[in-house]
Amino acid sequence: MKLITHNMLTSKCLKGVMTGYPLAINATDVKVKEVDFNPEFITRVIPKLDWEVLWVAANSIGHGEGLPKTLEPKFEEDEDLLKRVHKVLLEVEVEEGNLTCPESGRQFPISKGIPNMLLTEAEVQ
Amino acid sequence: MDEEKKTERKRKRFAARLKSSKGITCTEVPGPNLVLCNGGQATGLEKSAIFSLIKENGISITLPKYIAEKGETYSFLVFNTKEDALLFYNTFNGKAKADNKGTPLYMNFVETVPNKDIICPHENPKGLLLLNDFITQEEEKAFIKLFDWNPECNNLKNRLVKHFGYEFRYGSNDVDLSSPLIEKIPEECDILWKRLEEKGFDVGVPDQLTVNKYSPGQGIPSHVDKHSPFGGTILSLSLGSDVVMDWKHHSGKYVPTLVQARSLLVMQDEARYDWQHGIQPRTWDPVIENRVENSTKIKVITSDTVPRETRISLTFRWTRSGPCECEYKTLCDSVEKVSADNLENEVASNLEELHVHQVYEQIAGHFSTTRHKPWPKVVEFMQGVPPGSVVMDLGCGNGKNILRRDDIVQIAGERSSGLLSECKEHIHGIGAADCVRLDLLHAMLRDNTADIVICIAVIHHFSSQARRLQAVSTIHRLLRKGGRALITVWAKDQTKSNYLLKSKQDQVNETQAETQITVGGVNLPVHENRTQFKHQDLLVPWKLRKVSENKLSNNPENTLLRYYHVFEEGELDELCKQANFTIENSFYEEGNWCVVCKKK
Repeated sequence: MKLITHNMLTSKCLKGVMTGYPLAINATDVKVKEVDFNPEFITRVIPKLDWEVLWVAANSIGHGEGLPKTLEPKFEEDEDLLKRVHKVLLEVEVEEGNLTCPESGRQFPISKGIPNMLLTEAEVQ
Repeated sequence: MDEEKKTERKRKRFAARLKSSKGITCTEVPGPNLVLCNGGQATGLEKSAIFSLIKENGISITLPKYIAEKGETYSFLVFNTKEDALLFYNTFNGKAKADNKGTPLYMNFVETVPNKDIICPHENPKGLLLLNDFITQEEEKAFIKLFDWNPECNNLKNRLVKHFGYEFRYGSNDVDLSSPLIEKIPEECDILWKRLEEKGFDVGVPDQLTVNKYSPGQGIPSHVDKHSPFGGTILSLSLGSDVVMDWKHHSGKYVPTLVQARSLLVMQDEARYDWQHGIQPRTWDPVIENRVENSTKIKVITSDTVPRETRISLTFRWTRSGPCECEYKTLCDSVEKVSADNLENEVASNLEELHVHQVYEQIAGHFSTTRHKPWPKVVEFMQGVPPGSVVMDLGCGNGKNILRRDDIVQIAGERSSGLLSECKEHIHGIGAADCVRLDLLHAMLRDNTADIVICIAVIHHFSSQARRLQAVSTIHRLLRKGGRALITVWAKDQTKSNYLLKSKQDQVNETQAETQITVGGVNLPVHENRTQFKHQDLLVPWKLRKVSENKLSNNPENTLLRYYHVFEEGELDELCKQANFTIENSFYEEGNWCVVCKKK
């Protein structure tokens, strides 16, 4: 699971959960896989993110170094920053671990890099 | 000396080849594990050959565990000790024969062996009773002699069948009570009910018997014995061979059980009425072990296999008339008939579990080999996605529609874990693509995050109008304002596609009653592939073929039934409008209705 994906995952579908966002990450195996850097792409993606959620997530798995807590305007001119964002969004992958719903505590396992977000009939709204 | 050098050279070459093509690391340091480099499931090497090798040569070692993976030309041996492995290696490397042609068998030490053991987390179905050694070997022989027959008898799709008492009718899955057969259940069977009574099961005397003869490689698709024509107990006596029977429940439970030769299987209650059972068409079965771990009994499906022999099964039933009175509604043919569109959510969900999700899990490997290419219209749509977009492919299958583009985010969501692992492999190397296991009805993704959603050949698997609308509404929810979706579904009208086979169509018109299966009170006809659809809600057979096995590839018993709701013209457009979409484009393409729509 890449952090770009984590940025969009929620457990709101769970019965009794209001926002279910963001999910806490507990990673037991994190890998870094090299991906070609495309600065225009990263620049376009950043405004679509919940930046604070990305910042917390990156720090929680030990890859938050050099990421500012808040994003400065004109971030697109800072190539160094774009490279760091590129790394945490696309290169860092949680292979094994789990995600935890902030409200209900329900855990979702991540195995072989894939988070399992299936619910049982009884758990849905 | 030369011979020894040659063996050494060959052995090392195999080690290098295993490393480069299979990622198996051989080692020169002896340990308890060996890889047999040129003998495995695909070369026909069997565990028994290894064992007799050990016995015939009189070397005193504990028999190793044999691990052979499907379709591979190598296999593994796990010995109890390093010494045993070394003795085996020194005795047989380059000397034992790998096949009939006398090719020498080469082996290497390996540090790790694959562990493909699967722990079955569920208990056997309630009401399922397996009475092992119910008859003696002499009785088994006598039964085989009594019931075995020559191949010119009724041939049901390769499986030989014979009926007593009443003939079982395969189209309607019942019997005609008004025309009993002259041949009644042979009185030799009477010992069975007497023995059952002695054991405390007073089930009475059945009046219908179906005898099936299965050669290795033959099986029977998952089914429930139709409720209303038969009573609450069904007996099955197994002769000649052990077999693994798979049990499936609409809650998603999947339980393989070992049915031994000479055992009597008693099916009652849940096992009789609420579970489907079947036998996979293969020439071998996995070895199922019952282990105790942390003082709880667990059932382990090991990667070890045993070959099947010819098996004769005697299925005894009690005929009855009138509607079924069971309390299990999902598979009952007597519950109040409903139109598929008004299916209750729970029933619809059970139907999809049995006839969509479980089927895709089983066919994932085969499915993927037949679905390499994305549809041209989907590629065209995906190529037009502006850079920087967030794309969600919901029901992505094996990921064939994920493009090799590094300027868009592509989130691939899928329910089937088998398909999703194929997808994960497929997207390897695509920088901004990622996989999530999810259900479209409860997609655990944030509202208003996607610029684009594609949902290709998915919505037709939802079995009620309400669920189809919920699926399209989910797509709407995930899109940002102005975001667009491409949705495609299978069309009922196949006249303008390559799907129909003229010859097949003619054939079908001549044949009589179509097969129907009742799930949750809906009669679902089983569709004849490559013919025009006659109904909107139906089951489409998937003829499963083994991917890497060269044998048995055309076995017609390999049939799994997938549920479809095929769409009428305009139906998808209407659904999109109900979900608040604006339709941008709507078209028919190769047997599918396609809609491009926009969130207002």
